[in-house]
Amino acid sequence: MANHNIPYAVLHGMNVPTSFIHQEGSSFDFGELEEAIVLQGVKIRNDDEAKAPLFTTGRPAATLEMFPSWPMRFHQTPRGSSKSGGESTDSGSAVNTNSSKTENQLEPESPISTKKTTPLDQQQGMASDISRTGTSIAKLPQEKRRGSTSEKQLDAKTLRRLAQNREAARKSRLRKKAYVQQLESSRIKLTQLEQDLQRARSQGFFLGGCAAAVGNISTGAAIFDMEYSRWLEDDQRHMSELRTGLNAHLSDSDLRIIVDSYISHYDELFRLKVAAVKADVFHLLTGMWATPAERCFLWMGGFRPSELIKMLISQLDPLTEQQVMGIYSLQHSSQQAEEALTQGLEQLHQSLIDTVAGGPVIDGMQQMAVALGKLANLEGFVRQADNLRQQTLHQLSRILTVRQAARCFLMIGEYYGRLRALSSLWASRPRESMMGDDHSCQTTTDLQMVQPSQNHFSNF
Amino acid sequence: MHCQTGSRGTYVPTSRTIAGDPLERIERLASENAVVIFSVSSCCMCHAIKRLFCGMGVNPTVYELDEDPRGKDMEKALMRLLGNSPAVPVVFIGGKLVGAMDRVMASHINGTLVPLLKQAGALWL
Repeated sequence: MANHNIPYAVLHGMNVPTSFIHQEGSSFDFGELEEAIVLQGVKIRNDDEAKAPLFTTGRPAATLEMFPSWPMRFHQTPRGSSKSGGESTDSGSAVNTNSSKTENQLEPESPISTKKTTPLDQQQGMASDISRTGTSIAKLPQEKRRGSTSEKQLDAKTLRRLAQNREAARKSRLRKKAYVQQLESSRIKLTQLEQDLQRARSQGFFLGGCAAAVGNISTGAAIFDMEYSRWLEDDQRHMSELRTGLNAHLSDSDLRIIVDSYISHYDELFRLKVAAVKADVFHLLTGMWATPAERCFLWMGGFRPSELIKMLISQLDPLTEQQVMGIYSLQHSSQQAEEALTQGLEQLHQSLIDTVAGGPVIDGMQQMAVALGKLANLEGFVRQADNLRQQTLHQLSRILTVRQAARCFLMIGEYYGRLRALSSLWASRPRESMMGDDHSCQTTTDLQMVQPSQNHFSNF
Repeated sequence: MHCQTGSRGTYVPTSRTIAGDPLERIERLASENAVVIFSVSSCCMCHAIKRLFCGMGVNPTVYELDEDPRGKDMEKALMRLLGNSPAVPVVFIGGKLVGAMDRVMASHINGTLVPLLKQAGALWL
């Protein structure tokens, strides 16, 4: 596609369709200029307005028809007037055998196609430059002046070279356009990232090298992670309150306040998770908010209530018979509820697989829309699982006495604290394969140094 | 749907009405069995709640609203009843509304579901 801004006709004060004007105004392109000059240098000097109608046909600034073997259009008529001295006019054949015939085959639309950004004078200057280098310039067939000695002739080699130049110029323009488009889209992406960052910052999210800026994590997930780490700090505070309260042998009513505030602390976590489920259910489901060891035991985006109870049962002694029944009944009902939710989720999985696999795809977008709708159901399951977790903790505090509840929640907090510590140790363990069994014993010893009682892990 | 015609040949609807308040129909259906679940056949949460009751040894009566000609109206009525969406699953025990999945699970965890089922005759010790 020729790429010139100022059509020849405009330069010469002719009426032109506006489609010729403002074509991709990219940089000036010498390949085509050279060609144009070669072809119409003389035309400029002659300034023949008789050609005006020809240049307003509205044809696109397509390639100059430089190939001698191709027949030309609407220019076969009065040649005689456009020939310089010594040039033959009867070049009926399409093939150019000598330079004198070449001009017959030159397309008068060349002035149209050469829409240069350069001013007329530059063209004239260039023309004279080119003429000085000896490039032959063909005279336009419509050239009325006779016997002009300033026209030069083009030979086949020159024509080919000019064509190649034009082609190269065109390709380079296309490459440049592609590059610019790539830059533009990157710029837009950058702006969006900055906006996301700004939004996350204003909501209290601190980067500290977090992946949100890089786009590896959604804003909702990043916000939850930040809120969760704050919750973990609060957890430490609550636990030390429980410890202090138990050791100080507070009255039941005082201890009740501490226990209730710990339950509220967990209620707060479930509130945070409600928002996180809506923002990014996959973040919760994949457990990326938790440490690896916790993730190992993850069930539907959090802890499995029946596992927690199993862990607690042996340590809650002494319990009354009624309490024992209550705890076992709680474990049983949470197991049944977990099983029901798991089966529901399993059916969702299967339904999703069927949709995505799809069989003969009649309408891909429709299929995707259906799959999206099904994916949304995941949120409901994580919500119900969190609901189950919350109800389990509340029921525990109902079954147990205040002191038992205080000890119980302290145990829960310490248990998860140890799991998190285990994750850190695992991450920082030396990776030499030669260590083998010796190393695993070493790790156990480390843990024993951290915490005397190990029976929490025996259940798992 | 049966209907009886009176002596003057007018249409006198019986309790099984074709045209009628969907909420009334819901309440009527709910009272006909010990455990009644309103569901949609493609809904996975409905599947979960059915599994919960079956896992407890309860045999609930399930109405799939997508397979009922008046299902759409009943769904709307249930949504109004529950105060939010989704309309299903919804559980009635002994003719009384228990609620959606979260209420059912909460009542199971806090130990009130089983006595309710026994009272309605859906469970025996």
